[in-house]
Amino acid sequence: MYQILSRGEIAAIHTAAMEVLERVGIVIQHDKALKTLAKAGATVDKKTKVVKISEALVNEALQKSPRRHKLVARNPKYNIVIGDGKSYFTNAFGAHYTIDLHTGERRLSTVKDLEEFTLLSDYFPTVDYIKPNILPQDIPKTTWEQEMALAMFKSSEKHLSNVALTPEGWRDVIEMAKIYSGGDEEFRKNPSIIDTGFNNVPPLKYTREIIDMILDCAKNRIPFDISTGLLSSASGPVTLAGTIVQGIAENHAIVVLTQLIGPGTPIMWGSCATIMDQRYGTAAYGSPENGLIHAAFCQMAHFYGLPYYGAAGVIDSKVPDQQAAYENMMNALLATVSGADVVHDAVYGIVEAGVTASYEMFAISNDICGAIKRVAKGIRVTPETLAVDLIEAVGHEKNHLNTPDALRFTKKHLKEEQWYPLISNRTSRPEWEKRGSKTVEEVANEKIKEILATHSIEPLEKEKETAMRKLIKEAAKRAKSS
Amino acid sequence: MTSSILEELRAAVIEGDTEKSMTFAKKALESNIPPLDAITKGLAKGVKEVGDLFSEGEVFLVELVMAGDAMKAGMSVLLPAIKESKTEMTSPGKVMIGTVQGDIHSIGKDIVGTLLEADGFEVVNLGEDVASDVFVEKVKEHKPNILGLSSLLTATMPAQKDVIKKLKTAGLRGDVKVIIGGAPTTQEWADEIEADGWAGDAVSAVKLVKQLIKS
Repeated sequence: MYQILSRGEIAAIHTAAMEVLERVGIVIQHDKALKTLAKAGATVDKKTKVVKISEALVNEALQKSPRRHKLVARNPKYNIVIGDGKSYFTNAFGAHYTIDLHTGERRLSTVKDLEEFTLLSDYFPTVDYIKPNILPQDIPKTTWEQEMALAMFKSSEKHLSNVALTPEGWRDVIEMAKIYSGGDEEFRKNPSIIDTGFNNVPPLKYTREIIDMILDCAKNRIPFDISTGLLSSASGPVTLAGTIVQGIAENHAIVVLTQLIGPGTPIMWGSCATIMDQRYGTAAYGSPENGLIHAAFCQMAHFYGLPYYGAAGVIDSKVPDQQAAYENMMNALLATVSGADVVHDAVYGIVEAGVTASYEMFAISNDICGAIKRVAKGIRVTPETLAVDLIEAVGHEKNHLNTPDALRFTKKHLKEEQWYPLISNRTSRPEWEKRGSKTVEEVANEKIKEILATHSIEPLEKEKETAMRKLIKEAAKRAKSS
Repeated sequence: MTSSILEELRAAVIEGDTEKSMTFAKKALESNIPPLDAITKGLAKGVKEVGDLFSEGEVFLVELVMAGDAMKAGMSVLLPAIKESKTEMTSPGKVMIGTVQGDIHSIGKDIVGTLLEADGFEVVNLGEDVASDVFVEKVKEHKPNILGLSSLLTATMPAQKDVIKKLKTAGLRGDVKVIIGGAPTTQEWADEIEADGWAGDAVSAVKLVKQLIKS
């Protein structure tokens, strides 16, 4: 495991973060939350809405925050346990443009794109749980979150992470999750049938709406990820160490608040922070600095006993090209080998820093992430795998393809030892030419079309879909009348 | 003597040295250099130079911001003298910017403001969480050529539409060009709400402002 910080550095960062929390504090624009924090012993300035939190309060909250939690899927074979030592990958979040699969045109994203990207996420083995890949531009904003949730519930059997954009919309999605579970009681027993994610407004601020939705999660024990979105040298210090200090303070305010309202609510804690490129004023996600932040932030999460959630794999390139590939690989790999519990945005079917969805990039990233998962799996060292007896049996004159013992041995261990990419080319040159001398992007395009035409899942039960559509209709009516 | 003071003013801006800028602005006044010259031949020259280097990728945003700060510091010393002498200061235009109601994001909009100031525009930054009525009030008061509305949350995007509507109701829509920006916004949204333009990043925003001012 790549451990970038020394013990002394971890302690120094922790101390600095506590100083920020205690001396500078965080703005929480939510009076009820401020009251809760004040009652627990935090120092609250009602006028400025700044809350200063002691290390003692943080420690108390960390005691209640689970180190491991289940994310439940419609099909139990896809259940996962965050914090079990493995790095779980999500697909990308939030494109609002799409590079059309058939025309290559860059156009506004649709609900159909969301269904397709969710279905692809269901298919790609590297995606462990699914985030909304697309923010569709063809549905009314009044029922946006609800329509998105339905599109996703219909399109995969894996665990789904729904987007929470407005308190009213999120509450509706929670009701839809109850339907999805099979009823209020089922949902109460397993609220982690869904989860969601939140960001702050850096530096050091949270808005009323975000806190409202976090409180709804805490009350229902719905897991969520909290990740600082600070931009180094813009909304946070230019120094990466300072970036991490600020991010820790920002995240911990939410951990403290959440555990006061809903003790035991699972929190995935981390970062989607990166640098602001000082040449252009743009956020640079495919930068090595982004990977470094994840590596160090991950160590801090584990120091706190929390699962680390890192948005690592985001691409700056505007197209699915070589730049996109190296950016995706560099940061998803760094986060994984540092021990991230969740690598969000790993299987990244989006280009242009979260703006434009690319089907081709999704397939290419699936190979990239497959390779990364193989690296994470490591090397098995056992008396058998050391293969001394086999090496002796094969000896000097034969080889591992013409010795029966070796052939049996290869057959036995092959699946565990070798990973194969889905679309990346490793054939001989004549074979590659025979197949059309295609680039991986061209092969990706064909593969995606094939998957969309052939992959299917258990459809969502009719009654559940009907109930959800009814709920959406009522939400639309409410919005119209208000 | 004159030329060296003007030189120092230009240098102060290029170096991002606020103290130096104010010192030499005072010296300029003491040496009876027309305050407008101190600006156009000293401070503004420095800002233009830094701005050009920034467009070429030779200088960083931080240096551009510091140059802008140095210029503003020098200006603060010179402005009273300019007001007294009643000379007209020409600028390529006045741009008003703000983040819409319910939204406290600021950095993108502030970078746009900085780049505009570096190009000589007069910028009125209304801050964040600005009520639609306040935008209308301030447009009436300051009469900007361009109004820039920033929204970084999908939930607050409708406020961009609202401001345009309120400008229409107040009979001000024709007096100002309205541009929008912010991560969830798109050209299509700008077209839908009848904005005059959309920009996806600060550098494009400045180009858009220049385009609209010309037309």
